[in-house]
Amino acid sequence: MSGSKRGVVSMLGDLAGALTPLALRDLSAEIADRLRKVPTRVNEFGFDDWGMEIASVRRAVLPAALLYRYYFRAQTFGIERLPPGRLLLIANHAGQLPFDATMLGVATLLEAEPPRIARGMGEFWIPQLPFVNWLATRSGQLVGTPENCVNLLEAGECVMVFPEGVRGMNKTFDQRYRLQRFGTGFMRLALETRTPIVPVGIVGSEEQQPGLANLKGLGRALGMPAFPITATFPWLGPLGLLPLPVRYRIHFGEPLRFEGDAGDEDAVIEEKVEQVRQAIGELLERGRAERPAVFL
Amino acid sequence: MEKVLITGIAGGQGRLLARRLLESWEVCGADWVPWEGHPRGVTTYQVDLRKKKFEDVVRTEMPTAVVHLGMIRHFRGDPRQRHEVNVRGTKQLLDHCAHHGVQKLVVVSSGYVYGAFPENPFYMDEDSPLSASRTYPEIRDLVEVDTLASAFIWKYPHIRTCVLRPVNVLGYFVHSMIGSYLRMDRIPTLMGFDPMMQFIHEEDVCEAIALALQQGLQGVFNVAGPGQVPLHTAIRETGGKTLPLPEIALRPLVDRMFRLGLFPYPAGALDYLKYPVTLSGRRFVEATNFRPLFSLEEIFHSVRR
Repeated sequence: MSGSKRGVVSMLGDLAGALTPLALRDLSAEIADRLRKVPTRVNEFGFDDWGMEIASVRRAVLPAALLYRYYFRAQTFGIERLPPGRLLLIANHAGQLPFDATMLGVATLLEAEPPRIARGMGEFWIPQLPFVNWLATRSGQLVGTPENCVNLLEAGECVMVFPEGVRGMNKTFDQRYRLQRFGTGFMRLALETRTPIVPVGIVGSEEQQPGLANLKGLGRALGMPAFPITATFPWLGPLGLLPLPVRYRIHFGEPLRFEGDAGDEDAVIEEKVEQVRQAIGELLERGRAERPAVFL
Repeated sequence: MEKVLITGIAGGQGRLLARRLLESWEVCGADWVPWEGHPRGVTTYQVDLRKKKFEDVVRTEMPTAVVHLGMIRHFRGDPRQRHEVNVRGTKQLLDHCAHHGVQKLVVVSSGYVYGAFPENPFYMDEDSPLSASRTYPEIRDLVEVDTLASAFIWKYPHIRTCVLRPVNVLGYFVHSMIGSYLRMDRIPTLMGFDPMMQFIHEEDVCEAIALALQQGLQGVFNVAGPGQVPLHTAIRETGGKTLPLPEIALRPLVDRMFRLGLFPYPAGALDYLKYPVTLSGRRFVEATNFRPLFSLEEIFHSVRR
């Protein structure tokens, strides 16, 4: 009782802390300092080979880092397990909007040694949207083609993949923490490039925006990947998709190294994918058992 | 000394190449327009590649190598004539090469043939489909030229044929599409889009051609330069002023103005200002150890405004 009360007080304190400009300045300085240590190579104009610009990342990360520190009050477990060099982060996906991807990205930047910029593999429609494509590219996100992923890994980058895709992100609340079917593309790329896979279990995101239903047909008609119905969406418009202040707990597992032929039959690949899926499932289970409450 | 015949020798790239090859080759050239004040030692012929007179040039000069630069790459003239000159001209040239003992052939295509699409991966290799004409039908002749030349490699394997697809070429002399775009007074761009673009200096293109000739390279190769920057950075570095307009306004405007002859590029070209078209030059580097001499900064400096 008193524990949860203290939790509420500290949560309010954290929220208030976010409003003070001093904390903002500190966080901004911390981000700049972490970005200086990122191993990604940039050219004389400040861009990496895929259009990422450190100065843009800095601007884009600040609001995300505020959410990370003061709204979701994120914690990481086992982040010291990230191996240097090329790396695939494979995580569960949930919460209607990809705040989980953003938080994972902030975690690898603020907490990992050396700091890494997690490169997301985006949807094909992102390049077609003005400004959105620009923001995505400058902050290190790419269109999710196999070629792009192989390119990044061969250059020693850290790529994050959510093999459940929208199946996971827009599932309904009764399915929370139940891993949906995994795509197999990431495993073939890992085998092809001999990249270690770090399973990641994100606890919290699955409660951030409980989905009541997903009207796939309507979504398709509107050209959207899904059309979730939640307690607040679409009733409050786009604002209705804002997440609840759940606490994020991001669990990193031991790196998994797979051997084999990238061109193997689906059955062989799926077996390996299943091992990753299980590892994530275990991380989620442990993470849920250990946490005191969803919001604290 | 071996003899090389350069088509399009009076153009910017042709002149540079002629001077570059003069040390180690006997150089002759053909072009539709004359080259006033060409260096001594270079023989030039003012001919149409589609005509019999050009075949006579190949037959009498008997070059061991041919570099094909003689293509129309602007849109100022009649599009049907442009298509004829480029496709039929190339076809005739390939036939003459096959029949008159040419041993080496370099065809300079371009990186535009892949096309600009949202699903483009970064750093496309030579096996990527040539889809430019899907959204940019005005350059389908360049795609056809590339395809003709690539097929020639397999048809006549004893002729060392090499198709080069360089990225955006800039320099003092060359008249490239991207060059004249960057030299516009106010440069129209698509609001909210800033794709990565690769550049290569005209001298480095000459170097790449010379390497291909020297080594008798066979195959299709992208030729990438020293690196890439977003479009707006390139415009700033070359001293230009942008005029960002929303796509919904710019596309019909460009379409209308191009048809009236008031704007030099068709609307399909806008996709190259929207999506990245970046090429992997790895295969060429591995085959030739090619290293561009000019840095991005030097390339941008070479754009005279």
